Amino acid sequence: MTLERARSRAETLDSGTQKEIGERMLAPPRVVFSEIRAYLYRRCEKMRTKNDPYDLLKLVPESNGVASIELGPTIDKGPTPEHLHFESGARLSFGLTLREVDRGSQLVAFRYHYQLPAKSSPEYLRFDLNEGPHPDSLVEPRGHLHPGLEDVRIPISLHDPFEILDRIFFVLEKRT
Amino acid sequence: MLDFESQPFVEIARRLEMRGGHGWIAVLSPPSSRALALDELQTELRSILQVPTRVVPLDTFTFEGLREALQQPNDDAVVLSAGAELTPEKWSRLDIMRSALERIGPVIFWLAPNDVANLTGSAPNIRSLIGASIFIAGPDGGIMTEEERRERLKELVQYFGLSNEEIVRRAESKELPPEPEFVEWLVLLGRGDLV
Repeated sequence: MTLERARSRAETLDSGTQKEIGERMLAPPRVVFSEIRAYLYRRCEKMRTKNDPYDLLKLVPESNGVASIELGPTIDKGPTPEHLHFESGARLSFGLTLREVDRGSQLVAFRYHYQLPAKSSPEYLRFDLNEGPHPDSLVEPRGHLHPGLEDVRIPISLHDPFEILDRIFFVLEKRT
Repeated sequence: MLDFESQPFVEIARRLEMRGGHGWIAVLSPPSSRALALDELQTELRSILQVPTRVVPLDTFTFEGLREALQQPNDDAVVLSAGAELTPEKWSRLDIMRSALERIGPVIFWLAPNDVANLTGSAPNIRSLIGASIFIAGPDGGIMTEEERRERLKELVQYFGLSNEEIVRRAESKELPPEPEFVEWLVLLGRGDLV
């Protein structure tokens, strides 16, 4: 077993991710934005904390067919009114970038930062999809999870924007 | 007319949702970009109500055809789009057959502001069913403002210690790291061409 072989396997995994992105067609960015907002309205109504998806969720209009959907700060440096806050004390911020293709869109990149309540271990979980392959796919696979450590990236399968939210709202948040 | 409440489409859709996804409402379309606004209204109705949405033009349908269109199926969301051809006489005939328009799914009248006079004058029963639920299509919101965009860019510059120009330069020379934050940075700069 060699490091070269391990890197080769990691590159194969990244190639598979790229292929899946090409095969997975989403709605146009404006429609995905609307669907995420509706999703958040439904989930927030179940929680006793005050979150207003209308104010929190932002669409950065398309530039050359590429648009971003943002909630909360790009970098989590502590709680802000712009985060989505959970009853547990956890908070969520995310950024999702889509490219318009034909009458739909494809994933370009995303980050979903779920910061657990204070004194939790791990402190956070971040689901990332990089825009392209890293020079060292073994260290930084294209789709990965940070388990509370910036330098640790565990490979994850490709998720669509709603599948990540499902895990956060229905799995992680139920455990805190 | 100007006394009607201005609401974004998502809020109009949520009001229908709170009624269990039933009922009749009227939405006064903006004076320009009417087709785009209608498309956005349909998007919000689909997202919030989670039912298919159709647009049925009122002025080109026969009333028998209209009845059939509203009943088959009768549980989706239907936007009845009024155009310039919808004369007071046609509004009166529509008013007479209002019970045929009753259905499980919601009915949204998509009107030009000057249609309200015809609705009120020639279709008093429909006007009564709509009641206070007449809204002016308001700005949809959700679009990041210029101030928010500038603030977000400022935070990125401070956090990474890189200028916007440097990010563009690195993207042009294919040296930008692949992390999602840098892609968002380019979109904020209006440089989707470099993604």
